[in-house]
Amino acid sequence: MEDELYLENIDEFVTDQNRIVTYKWLSYTLGVHVNQAKQMLYDYVERKRKENSGAQLHVTYLVAGNLIQNGHTCHKVAVVREDKLEAMKSKLATVTSVHVYSIQKALLKDSGPLYNTDYDIIKANLHNCSKFSAIRCADAVPRTPAEVAQARTLARSSSQTPSDTSAVSTPPLNGHGPTAAKQSSQPPKGIMGMFAAKAASKAQDANKEPKAKEAPSVSAASSKPSAKGNIMNNFFGKAAMNKLKVNSVPGQPKEEKEAVKTSVPATEPESSPNSIVEKPGRKTEPAKIQQKDKKSKMKRMDKSDNEEEREPENQKKKRKRIKQLESDSSDEEDVPASPTLEEEKAPSPPPLVPALKAELEPASTEASAGGKKRKRKRVLKSKMFVDEEEGCMVTEKVYESESCTDSEDDFAKTKPPAVPKQPALPVKKEPKEERKNQKKGAATASRANKQISIMGFCQKK
Amino acid sequence: MFSAVTPLPGRTLLGPPSAEPPTFARTGSDFADRSQPFRLGERSFSRQYAHLYATRLLCMRPRLEQQARLRWGDGVLLRKLCQLQEINEEHNLVPQPSLAKYVDPSDELVLEDELQRIKLTGSIEASRLVTGAVLAVYGHEQEDGKFLVEEHCFAHLPPQLPWQGPSTDRFVLLASGLGLGSGSGESLLGTQLLVDAVTGQLGAEGQQSCAALISRVLLAGNLLSQSTQSRDSLHKAKYLTKKTQAASVEAVKMLDEILLQLCSSVPVDVMPGEFDPTNYTLPQQPLHRCMLPLSSAYPTLQLVTNPYQADMDGVRFLGTSGQNISDIFKYSSMDDYLEILEWTLLAGHISPTAPDTLGCYPFYNSDPFILTDCPHVYFCGNAPKFQSKLLTGEDGQRVLLVAVPAFSATQTACLVNLRDLSCQPISFSVFGAEDDSDMEVGQ
Repeated sequence: MEDELYLENIDEFVTDQNRIVTYKWLSYTLGVHVNQAKQMLYDYVERKRKENSGAQLHVTYLVAGNLIQNGHTCHKVAVVREDKLEAMKSKLATVTSVHVYSIQKALLKDSGPLYNTDYDIIKANLHNCSKFSAIRCADAVPRTPAEVAQARTLARSSSQTPSDTSAVSTPPLNGHGPTAAKQSSQPPKGIMGMFAAKAASKAQDANKEPKAKEAPSVSAASSKPSAKGNIMNNFFGKAAMNKLKVNSVPGQPKEEKEAVKTSVPATEPESSPNSIVEKPGRKTEPAKIQQKDKKSKMKRMDKSDNEEEREPENQKKKRKRIKQLESDSSDEEDVPASPTLEEEKAPSPPPLVPALKAELEPASTEASAGGKKRKRKRVLKSKMFVDEEEGCMVTEKVYESESCTDSEDDFAKTKPPAVPKQPALPVKKEPKEERKNQKKGAATASRANKQISIMGFCQKK
Repeated sequence: MFSAVTPLPGRTLLGPPSAEPPTFARTGSDFADRSQPFRLGERSFSRQYAHLYATRLLCMRPRLEQQARLRWGDGVLLRKLCQLQEINEEHNLVPQPSLAKYVDPSDELVLEDELQRIKLTGSIEASRLVTGAVLAVYGHEQEDGKFLVEEHCFAHLPPQLPWQGPSTDRFVLLASGLGLGSGSGESLLGTQLLVDAVTGQLGAEGQQSCAALISRVLLAGNLLSQSTQSRDSLHKAKYLTKKTQAASVEAVKMLDEILLQLCSSVPVDVMPGEFDPTNYTLPQQPLHRCMLPLSSAYPTLQLVTNPYQADMDGVRFLGTSGQNISDIFKYSSMDDYLEILEWTLLAGHISPTAPDTLGCYPFYNSDPFILTDCPHVYFCGNAPKFQSKLLTGEDGQRVLLVAVPAFSATQTACLVNLRDLSCQPISFSVFGAEDDSDMEVGQ
């Protein structure tokens, strides 16, 4: 008889394997509804006791009901041993359910083992933990990775654009999140526009990639050369500018350049987009490399998400960095302290930001110390402009990259390998080590610089 | 009531297996998130908190004027509104011990507005008021420069939204203080029982069909236990702590598994609390979904802010994870969490002690903690024990006040019936090594 099968099974579990058989464990193991499992257990107990009254069998029951306490009714659910069952039932005003919770050979001193049994079996069945439950929820269908990615980009683009415009137009006042979800992205104004164009095009590329579900390494590889190319281009001066314009969404950069604050001197858009573009190149690279290293449960989904996330996120981060470069307060203090723009962003970009910043500066000094023909200098210049909001004139010291010439095979090559980082705790050392390396690089570079200048001084004499 | 369902006759689980047992469908839930004011987008901390107080004063003034006129007639000249409280302490160089309460009989009350401040005396109790509360006082100024108070009043309950609750029984489970990662396994089985009861695995058919009426679960903070907050790694040498993992990592994994079980069966809203991995200042932002990879695949999981406001099936819920109430508890003589909850409702402000003694974001143009609409259910998490009360306002507002107990300590959660705004505690107990303590109901 089929019914006998489960009896035998339970018998085997309890007596032979000496297990603690909870209703949930039985339900998963035999693949039956939880209520059936409870009934099976009860049936087994009854029969076993009829056959052999001296059976070594201890049962725990679940009792639930109403309890009158301090004048109000309280619903109580309790797991009790068999000997306490009647006592508990008598305490309750009304009893709504009684059923077998578990059967085991040995007497349980406390309920720890019950929990462990359930924990193990649940862990093994996490993906369908409601399969044998008595309640079905229609909404609880896990999203597929593609849906998740879509939902996230939607949320990101819609929530980003209002905050973008607000970031550019008014300083963040209330810090309230965006209230309206806008589907269309408004072209952000000013220098930020350069980013948006660059990053938008990158984001579009990145969007296509995950949807095609290419291996992340492939996408990383493909973007790497393009990013590298950008860095190379940067050091070609005006030639680079033209190339960049071609690369990015046509027409938009020009619009945005015109829309640049009139107060900003004309020279700035020329040189700063170079640095700006360099940064997106730099950023997308490490972002992509980072994804290769990242290990998460839903690898592909997370990676594809991260790619999409990185772009607009980097865009934002870059924006913030530029804003801080222009502000009076010191760079290094602000960047680590700058709060993440949206909570949902992965924690990696903040460590990315200061590290990258640290890299950029020594990197450029390194490059200049290379003593090659074409140099790229970062020069501290004072910029003066009228701040419309406050109605005052602001003089700021800004690092400008003057691109004289171009050197950079080493430069480009050394940067990417040094960059990969992970937000994970054990690996946090890496950025610090890198920073140390950078500092070393900077130190040697500066030393080299000094040496050259000292020599130059001697030579002049 | 949840357990008003009597067991279906003839269908007992103490019997041989019957034919295909029924499965119940979870009742659908109509949900709208109203916690937008508590979400922070870009944040700048370069402002002072004076703006927050100024805004608070500005926003609450009209309502207070209205109340004052109602009570004391039209001839009253309104002058001041914000209120401060000074604590007279000796200047010691000894580090202050952390006390349960920071109230002293020698505390003085100072009333302050945009321009000036004045000391208050008279029929007003300093120990029952906290810094940051906005109120109106009625009295006159004495020769010594102090203001003699005859009466004072608060903004009272704001107007309530029209009632659109369900007509059939529908429940929302409120739980808080799961306290995972505490290292002690006692509350773990209790938590498992809670999850099983809600997902319909536990109990007889009658109970399961009732559990199917739970349309939503709200976890109000402190999902992780305080012991995950150890800061040892800050003080120890680096070489000792290199390979150690933060205690919260393991706890969050456990949380993820529990949430996965819940989410596969019921919509869940997760609010962060004092010990959870999110920002410290109020409003706390939602937990990041990257910490919960398994459960965030389900659309039923909602990670929300603290404080949290939402319309569930037409019933407006508003509540916090308890930091605001426990802060007021520390700085006033009020002892009862429910009493404090009621007081904040009457004062028209969720957390008046922010930013003074409770960390808060420096808002500029608005203060999202001011109560503009009266909620139907107003709760606070991590209370020492379960308490609930149905409050009726002057304009006929009905508010259910619920102090949700910390589950790790009390093994009790709350079931709110949306149809009639009633609340029932549900407690779980397991047997332990001591036989006698089983008999005690989870208190």
